[in-house]
Amino acid sequence: MRHLSPDQVVDVAEGRADAAVAAHAAGCASCRTKAESLLDAIRLAESDSRPEPSPLFWPHLAARIGEAVRREKVRVPFWRSWGWRLAPIGAAAVLMIAVGIGLRMWTPGGGPLVPSMPAGAPAQAGMGPLADVETADDPSWLLVSALSADVSVEEAEASGALPPPGGSDQALLQLDLAEQMELARILREELGARAPATAHGPGA
Amino acid sequence: MSTRAAAWPAGGIQPDWTLTVLPSTQDESGRHEPLGDLDDRRLVELCLGGRVEAFDAIVERHQRVVYQLCFRFVRRHEDAADLTQEVFLRAYRGLRRFRGDATLATWLHRIGVNVCLNKVSGRKVQETPLDDAPHIPAAGDDPAASFARAREGARVRAAVARLPRKQRATLILRVYQDLSHREIALALGTTVGAVKANFFHALGNLKKILAEEASEKP
Repeated sequence: MRHLSPDQVVDVAEGRADAAVAAHAAGCASCRTKAESLLDAIRLAESDSRPEPSPLFWPHLAARIGEAVRREKVRVPFWRSWGWRLAPIGAAAVLMIAVGIGLRMWTPGGGPLVPSMPAGAPAQAGMGPLADVETADDPSWLLVSALSADVSVEEAEASGALPPPGGSDQALLQLDLAEQMELARILREELGARAPATAHGPGA
Repeated sequence: MSTRAAAWPAGGIQPDWTLTVLPSTQDESGRHEPLGDLDDRRLVELCLGGRVEAFDAIVERHQRVVYQLCFRFVRRHEDAADLTQEVFLRAYRGLRRFRGDATLATWLHRIGVNVCLNKVSGRKVQETPLDDAPHIPAAGDDPAASFARAREGARVRAAVARLPRKQRATLILRVYQDLSHREIALALGTTVGAVKANFFHALGNLKKILAEEASEKP
């Protein structure tokens, strides 16, 4: 039999070797010396006693770790942690859209545009009067027009894209005094600016 | 076990909370078993179910061996306490990855070895002066003999610190942490044969380093 490998020498030093390995170690001075040297080294290493801090240290350490664990932040999705901050922005955006739609539907000195359109007529058909308003170079309006070209008023109503009857009034009622004054100012400006344009429109 | 109602009524508002079913800690008579009486696997389950106090029980049970492991690497009480905290924090963060292939103690040893080797690599370890060493002499211990042992212990620790990383980790886990070769293999992510070979070479190198130091002294 060849001399023992390092792991077999470890087994001999620790008294865990199987019968064949133990028999070889007993008869081989070289392997036995290696195992004894290893045992010496283990005893040497073991001479360094375990560190044993004060008994008061353990509750202190456990409490410290407990605090650190409880400080660990629970990961929450972005939309949960920021949702409440985005709510006012969303509400403001809805209000602006409602006011914008209200402005678009309103003609100076006349009734709302949409009710004057024939029922079932495609939205494109209603673009005539709207085109009178200064929207030709408004990219946002052009985009909305392109997207809604094939949508009828009924479909738009059914999808909830249009404000419900009285929706604009409801939105206005929810404005505070300062907002109402600001809206009145914007309306005055808009109506004042459109009056000449309408006068020079196709129907003039 | 944690489940979110999959078949929530269509059109209804799905709740923001999560239904969590925790394993019961009640015994047959309906009384709650103290957390300290539960085994590690049960404590891990409770912890994953949201009971952070179950992790406190894990800490109380294992903090001593984790601290002793860390102390073997850094040889300073304050650093060992910091590293022990770091080990448990990492364990807490990664508790879902504990699959139970090894015992929780072995898993903590694995985290501990990684944390300690990262900490000590590339820096010189500052050792606790003998006077500050966290060692309480046994009652009736001869002060001179105690001091001589402490001095010899410091010499051995310094020699262990000079071993290559894997040999050092293997020797610490085998001699000071009493892990079996198989547990060490699991903790270090290697084979039992490699562990024994590392242990063999670690002990040989330890003797060599101590002999060199002894011959250098006047």
